[in-house]
Amino acid sequence: MEVGKLSPEYFEAVAVCELDKTTFSVLDIEEGDPVRVETIEGSVIVRSKLDRRAEPGVAFIPCGPYANMIMNADTEMTGMPRFKEMEAIIFAAKDETILSIEELME
Amino acid sequence: MGISIPDVVCPFCGCLCDDLIIHVDNGRIIKNEHGCAISKSKFLHHLDDRLEHPEIRDGDSHQTVELKTAISHCVDLLKNARRPLIYGLSSVENDAHREAYKIADLVGAIVDNTSSVCHGPTILGTQESGEAAGSLAEVKNRADLVIYWGSNPQFAHPRHISRFVKPPGEFIHDPRTDREVWVFDIRKSITATLADRFVKVEPGRDLEVLSALRALVRGHEIDVSEVGGVPIDTIRELAERMKSAKYGILFFGLGLTQSHGRHHNVDAAIRLVQDLNSYTKWNMMSMRGHYNVAGANKTLTWTTGYPFAVDFSRGFPRYQPGEYTAVDLLRRGEVDVLLNIGADPVAHFPKVAVSHIRKIPVINIDPKRNLTSLFAEVNIPTAIAGIECDGAAVRMDGLPLYLKKVMNPPEGIIPDREVLQMIYEQLEEVMQ
Ligand code: SF4
Repeated sequence: MEVGKLSPEYFEAVAVCELDKTTFSVLDIEEGDPVRVETIEGSVIVRSKLDRRAEPGVAFIPCGPYANMIMNADTEMTGMPRFKEMEAIIFAAKDETILSIEELME
Repeated sequence: MGISIPDVVCPFCGCLCDDLIIHVDNGRIIKNEHGCAISKSKFLHHLDDRLEHPEIRDGDSHQTVELKTAISHCVDLLKNARRPLIYGLSSVENDAHREAYKIADLVGAIVDNTSSVCHGPTILGTQESGEAAGSLAEVKNRADLVIYWGSNPQFAHPRHISRFVKPPGEFIHDPRTDREVWVFDIRKSITATLADRFVKVEPGRDLEVLSALRALVRGHEIDVSEVGGVPIDTIRELAERMKSAKYGILFFGLGLTQSHGRHHNVDAAIRLVQDLNSYTKWNMMSMRGHYNVAGANKTLTWTTGYPFAVDFSRGFPRYQPGEYTAVDLLRRGEVDVLLNIGADPVAHFPKVAVSHIRKIPVINIDPKRNLTSLFAEVNIPTAIAGIECDGAAVRMDGLPLYLKKVMNPPEGIIPDREVLQMIYEQLEEVMQ
């Protein structure tokens, strides 16, 4: 991400959740529709993105302010939060808006 | 007429590619030969989105100030801080580290680098089980079996494969037939599609798969049909193949260190590599992300004996991950001033840590605007090392490389090390 953290490109790159084809049909959504991702820590609305290689059961949100909203900060005495796997539930959120980074930070 | 500068080191990822040719014309970089797309963007867009002047927060916005005013403000904040944290350091060069550690020593701060949220667990694993080390040149010249575990180099280290795996080496004449590449991951990444073999591991089950591999390498039988989503017959076959490699290398990424098990995963991987060395030659290496995160660990270790999470508050360095690591300190609300050098914790830390950052004054030293700069009390722009000033950095295999200056920084902007030195000198005066 060398174009800058305040650029539309950064927003496009981090406010997404990559899902597999089956999940798209189960949620009855089209690529680009907003989804709500909920974990024990909280929930966040991001744009859905199709990952053709993905399989049901695993979704991916790139490291960034959106992923941070739902991440567990407990490091279990290692310094490292669990960035890579959290159990989450994903809902279709067609009518909801994806917050901009500034709004998200409020 | 422009000039072309050969053998430039790319200051972006831990590969530190040292073969770039940078063309400069009329005070602008016009071309980056050999760099990957990220590197090209870094060099060609180095002037975009810059912090242009030192600035101090004034209500909801920032006021431009003179450098010396900004420095005095930093000195005031640090002098009065009770639990200052110095964080970042993985995207700045080694000399800047030295100055940061001097400040930490003087004010009794905690120093943590970004490795606590990337390969910190790798270091913890190493401290438990020992470090396997070797160079990337060895990989190119010898490795006939290359494994990427929880790492997607095609995305994060775009030239890793093309520089060290694809080209022929001394003992690998035709890499297409003499060298095999395997990928272990929870999802089929771009790297996995290029590999000779992809092994899909269930999320959070790396430790089990590594342990099963170890058991089978040692000749034990395991009475189950699958481990971590991988059929046991496949694991057995992989174990045999690993034993018969002439030189194997296990590259591992954040998929291993940031998931369930963390340093235990790395510990298990190290022990697997140790076991394999009873049969043949194996090595392993962490895929370091930021270009000088390996350097941040090295310089802090030379200076204090410890690689990250070092507290100077008692006048001597103490080390305790989980206690003096940035996310934990912030989550507990301990820190009262954050000196952030070349990192963006507001973009990368969990919500609770970020909300504490928002409550305290942040001194942000960085060439570019980022999410942390939006909330900082003081922003001080600096030159980009490896483009606008020189320096030294450490490649993922531990090789130190010299970063070149290819052009002048924007007017009035100086390297990180000089900004930090100014802060240090002024602090020293006021704290006498
Ligand atoms: S692979 Fe990494 S070091 Fe090499 S050119 Fe690309 S970003 Fe730079």
